Amino acid sequence: MRKHLTDGELRAALDGELEALQLQHLDACIACQGRAQLLQKESQKAASRLAFLASADEPVPAAQRAWDRFSQQVVMKKEISMFKKWFAFPVIRFGTAGLLILALVLAFPGTRALAGELLNLFRVQQVQVVPVDFTGLEQLTGDGALGNQFTALISDSVDMQQEPGEPVQAASADEASQLAGFTVRIPSGMTPSQINVTGGAAFSMTLDRTKAQALLDEAGRSDLVLPASVDGAEISVDIPASVSVAFGTCPKPGSGESGNHEQSITERRYPNCVILAQIPSPSVNAPADLDIEALARIGLEFTGMSPEEATEFTSTVNWTSTLLVPIPRNAAIHEQVSVDGVTGTLIQRPSEEGPQFALLWVKDGILYAISGLGTNSQQAIEMANSLP
Amino acid sequence: MPYKSMIGSMKHLKTGALETVQTGSSSSEFEALFREHWPQVYRTLYRLVGDPAEAEDLALEAFLRLYQQPPPREKEFNPGGWLYRVATNLGLQSIRSWRRREHYELTAGKYALEETPEDHPAEIMAQEEERRLVRLALARMNERQAQLLIMRHSGLPYKEIARSLGLAPTSIGPLLLRAEREFEKHYRALAQEELP
Repeated sequence: MRKHLTDGELRAALDGELEALQLQHLDACIACQGRAQLLQKESQKAASRLAFLASADEPVPAAQRAWDRFSQQVVMKKEISMFKKWFAFPVIRFGTAGLLILALVLAFPGTRALAGELLNLFRVQQVQVVPVDFTGLEQLTGDGALGNQFTALISDSVDMQQEPGEPVQAASADEASQLAGFTVRIPSGMTPSQINVTGGAAFSMTLDRTKAQALLDEAGRSDLVLPASVDGAEISVDIPASVSVAFGTCPKPGSGESGNHEQSITERRYPNCVILAQIPSPSVNAPADLDIEALARIGLEFTGMSPEEATEFTSTVNWTSTLLVPIPRNAAIHEQVSVDGVTGTLIQRPSEEGPQFALLWVKDGILYAISGLGTNSQQAIEMANSLP
Repeated sequence: MPYKSMIGSMKHLKTGALETVQTGSSSSEFEALFREHWPQVYRTLYRLVGDPAEAEDLALEAFLRLYQQPPPREKEFNPGGWLYRVATNLGLQSIRSWRRREHYELTAGKYALEETPEDHPAEIMAQEEERRLVRLALARMNERQAQLLIMRHSGLPYKEIARSLGLAPTSIGPLLLRAEREFEKHYRALAQEELP
C-alpha cells in the first residue's frame, strides 16, 4: 500500500488537484481522510477571509480610455527617457544641466552683418522654451552604429579648455558671491540648507561638415543639408561659475548620488528639496559667416518640427539674446509667468517620482532657475518674487 | 470562478510577436493584447487595493512594464501569466507603502458606501474593515506566498499558478498550505493589534 499522503497533497486534494494514484489512496485511507477534514477547516477560514478577491461584479474602466492613457504614458516615458539620456552626454552636462548645448545647437545669433572673424555673439537676456520630440534622438544616444558615430563626432570636435571641477560648499551668500564673482541672491526669510559654487567651464568646438552631414544621412535625414559655412567653423563657449542654493533636504552635489545637483532632486528621498540656481550668461563666439539660422532650422527639423514650423520658429527668436530650453514635446507643459519684475517660464512635467517643476528667468544678465518636485509651483514663484 | 479564464484563455504569443511590439512595428498587436487582458488585470488590482483610481494606475503600470521588458528567452511566452504576477506584485507593493495604507483607510469604505448607498452602511463598513485587515495581512507576507494566495483565491488552477510563478505544479499544494497558515498568523496578529 502506498504511504500516507502529505499535508501538501491533502491540501491539493481539497482543490481537486490531486493525481489519480494519490486520489485512490485517499479514497481508501481513513487516516488520510481524517487529516483532510482537519485541513479543510483550516483552509476554509482563509478562504472565507479571501473570498472578496473572487468577486466579479465591479465596473471596469472602458478599454478604449485605458488604451488611450496607456499610449500617452508610453510616449511620455520614451520622451523623458530620451531627454535624460541626451543630457547624460558629458559634453552636454558641462553646460550646466544641458543649457549649454542649446546655446551650441540652437541659440547662435544670425547676425552676420557684423565685421570681424570671431564675434562675441550671444548674451542671454531671455529664455524661450522649444518643445522637442526627444524620441527622434533615440538613435544618436544608443549603442548602435549611429550612436557611436555621434559620440565620435562630439569627442573629435570638442576641445575642453576648462572643466568646472567639483562644487565647493559656501557658508553664506557673501562667501558664494566672492567665489563665483557675482552677487548671489537668497529669497527673503528663507534659510538655505546648502550653498554650492561650481567653477566656470570653457571649450571650443570645430565643426566638420562632412562628418556631420554623414551622420544626418545615416539617420535617414539626407533632406537636411548643412550649410557650407559650417565646415571648419570654430565655436568657443565660456560658461561662468554658477551657484546652487538648496532649501530643504537635498543631496550633496558631487556626492556620487547623481551626476549633478538638479538631477538628484528627482529622487524619492528628497521630496521637499527645492534648488535655486544662478549663473551669469554664458558667452558664445562663432565665425561671423556661420549660417546660424540654417543650423537652428536643421536642429529643429531633426527633432520633430516640420520645415514650415522650423522656419516660423526661427524667425520669431532673437538669436542674440535668447536661450532656448528644449522640453519633451508630449511630456511637459510650459507657460509664461511674471516673476522678479520680468517674464519667466514655468515648466511642469510628470515623472516616475511625481510631478516636477522648473521656473526659469533672466534678470540683469543672470539666468535663474528654481526646480523642485510636486505641483506646488506657486512656491517657486513666491521664492522668485521674494529675492532682494 | 471568475478568473478561471485569466490565464487559461490567454493566447500564448510567440516570442517574436512581442519583439516586434517592442520595436514599435506592431503596436496593433500589443493593443489587442491590452484589450484582451485589461478587464482582468484591472479587476485583480481593484480587489486587491480597493481604490478604482489606484487600481487603474497600477494596471497601466503593469502593461507598461510588459511593453518595456526585454524580449523573453522562453520559446513561448505567456503574457497573461506575466501580467498577473506583475499586477499582484504592484498591488502588494502599493499596500505596503504607508501612504497608500493610510489612503485605503480613508477611501476604501467611502467607495464601498458610494457603490451601494441604500444598503446597510454599518454592515458595509464592517466588511471593508475585514478586507482592510486581509489586505494588510497579505502585504505583511512573503511576496511569493501572498501572490500564491491571491492567485488561488481568485480562482486560478494550480497549473496556471505554477506557470505564472515558475513553480512545479506538484509544489503548489504544500506551498499553499504554508501560505494559508502564514496568512492566518498575520491576520490574527493584526486583529489583535487593532483591538481597543
